[in-house]
Amino acid sequence: MAPVLIAEGMVKTFGDLVAVNGVDLEIAAGETFGLLGPNGAGKTTSISIVGGLLHPDRGTVTVAGVPVSAESTKGKAAIGLVPQDLAIYPDLTAVENLTFFGRLYSMNGADLRSRVDEVLEVIGLSERRDDLVKEFSGGMKRRLNIGIGLLHKPQLLILDEPTVGVDPQSRNAILESVEQLSGEGMAVLYTTHYMEEAERLCDRVAIIDEGTIKAEGTRRELVSMIGQRDRVTVSASGDLQKAAEAVRRLPDVSEASPSDHRIEILANEAAKLLPALLASIAATGAAVTGVQVIEPNLEAVFLHVTGKALRD
Amino acid sequence: MSASTRIASKDLKLRVRDRSAIIIGIVAPLTLAFIFNLTFGSALDTTSLDLHFGLVDQDQTTTSASFKTVLDDLEGQGMATIVSYPSAASAESAIAAGDIDAYFLLQPGMGQAIQTGAPYVIKVVGDIDHPTSTQIATSIAEQYGQGVITVQTALGVSVEMSQTPPSPLDLVSWSQAAAQQARGFQFVPVAAATRQLDGPTFFAAGMAVFFLFFTVQFGVSGVLEEEREGTLTRLLAAPIPRRSLILGKAILAFALGIISMTVLVIATSLLMGSDWGAPLGVAILVIAGVLSAIAILGVVAAVAKTPEGAGNLGSIIAVTLGMLGGTFFPVGRADDLLSKLSLITPHAWFMRGLGDLAGDAPWTAALPASGAITVFALVFGSVAWMLLRRRMSR
Repeated sequence: MAPVLIAEGMVKTFGDLVAVNGVDLEIAAGETFGLLGPNGAGKTTSISIVGGLLHPDRGTVTVAGVPVSAESTKGKAAIGLVPQDLAIYPDLTAVENLTFFGRLYSMNGADLRSRVDEVLEVIGLSERRDDLVKEFSGGMKRRLNIGIGLLHKPQLLILDEPTVGVDPQSRNAILESVEQLSGEGMAVLYTTHYMEEAERLCDRVAIIDEGTIKAEGTRRELVSMIGQRDRVTVSASGDLQKAAEAVRRLPDVSEASPSDHRIEILANEAAKLLPALLASIAATGAAVTGVQVIEPNLEAVFLHVTGKALRD
Repeated sequence: MSASTRIASKDLKLRVRDRSAIIIGIVAPLTLAFIFNLTFGSALDTTSLDLHFGLVDQDQTTTSASFKTVLDDLEGQGMATIVSYPSAASAESAIAAGDIDAYFLLQPGMGQAIQTGAPYVIKVVGDIDHPTSTQIATSIAEQYGQGVITVQTALGVSVEMSQTPPSPLDLVSWSQAAAQQARGFQFVPVAAATRQLDGPTFFAAGMAVFFLFFTVQFGVSGVLEEEREGTLTRLLAAPIPRRSLILGKAILAFALGIISMTVLVIATSLLMGSDWGAPLGVAILVIAGVLSAIAILGVVAAVAKTPEGAGNLGSIIAVTLGMLGGTFFPVGRADDLLSKLSLITPHAWFMRGLGDLAGDAPWTAALPASGAITVFALVFGSVAWMLLRRRMSR
């Protein structure tokens, strides 16, 4: 299946500043793609080009096979953009906001009304549909902000830091919505500062810094790229020295260190290895009382690739 | 419905909902025009002078009678009502009662003084509440005095040449000659270029065009508000041409301007008795005026960084152009330089256009001024369009 988004060689400069320098992106239908980077890395410029807000100095963007540019209208119709800052009218009601933007996407009449009802249901604002948005909580505003982006059933949904400043309950609702949309076949381009969001939502992640993509792949690919392994802590009783030796003989295990009532193990894909690992310990006569698996996270990858923390 | 009209409709709903457009566009100019008219209206009212003068003739000579003929002539032309009083006290009472605006006091010795060339003063006593009428009375007396000087000079020359005193018949004839000279005082229609509007119309029109620049700003600065609210991003991401956004704001500004001006024209005509002139001519002027306001404030919106900045800069420009353009005080009465400077403002052309329509002139009389205002709209509109397009491409 052809990717929904193909962005090739995007370059954008502002005076002497090279904001984006040869960025390529490709996202398939039903895939959630995370774009991670510190402030000023080029995330917003990249998604602004993809969303048709900015003219790139070089490079091309196509969405659903249609070229996208700042002046084109056809390509933009396939994109739903949810800006980082709230982009809603506080003095209009939720329905009025959705209806206004829906009409800009050529939606009208009964189709628009029923779609507005559907979106209000998805974002949990049906009960407040006729209230002025200025009376909404921050989380409700965020949900409406996302709802407007979904209204016209875009093939590519761009979410720029959608959970900034959102309460935990609304945040969870937003993440569930994104998972659901992705499951329904929508391609999602997601930028965030929150590593746990990227790890939960994104099928693939690109790390961008100083205008270029520094690394790209699935979480596991990125983690293995920097040589980090899963850490498994097995609590047990018995001859732990012997048990550790048995564990070391397993494939994908690089290290096993016994200590008081515990064996610390470093391995690749520990979750898959776990049954064999527990069986080998049990075979030595040791009794396992607890297991903890800690997988290396993207934060470490990010630090390794960019030399700075994500929130810098 | 096109994207630009959808954007304009949404903005109009917001403006009506927060009542800002109604207050700035209709309530404020109507109130101010009404107050200004009450305060200054009579000072500008040159088309409906209703002069009431008194005369106290204590001299009772042929000469004083000749002055009365001057006043009688004014009365005969329907310019003034003249009432004779036996004493200054009775004339004072008439002023106090509001029966007359001013009176002339011809004290004893007038005839003798004029024959001998001695100094003589015709006293004019006016009501403080009728400064215009009093000024006119003073002008009449001064003009009569000029005639007297001319006759006295002729008299002196005649006596010197003939070496004989003038006969009583000559004196009557010369007094009549002095009075004849004073009859040069008359009200004449002025040229269209400097024609003045009556008070209610002047202040209504002045306030309307002055506030037009504030009303229109609500529409034009909408681009900046979209930018501040973050909604500009979403609008730019929507599948609509970027020009639709600028056009949408311009349509709203145009609608607000036209609605505001129409309400003001109708309301001031009905409530204040303003006479705007031929409706078609007024409509053309109003449309040109609204377009020029949109264009000028479009440039302001394009260069300002925030809506507040645009508001401040727009207000400064509106007040400056309004003052210079004579929306508060008629610049035609000010010195020449100011009068010429005023022509760099659409306000002055708007007021001039209405002046051209005064006195039952046909609608075509407004075309020259409307054309000048349209030039402002085209020049500033082109600049605003270019700058705003560039701003949205950043």
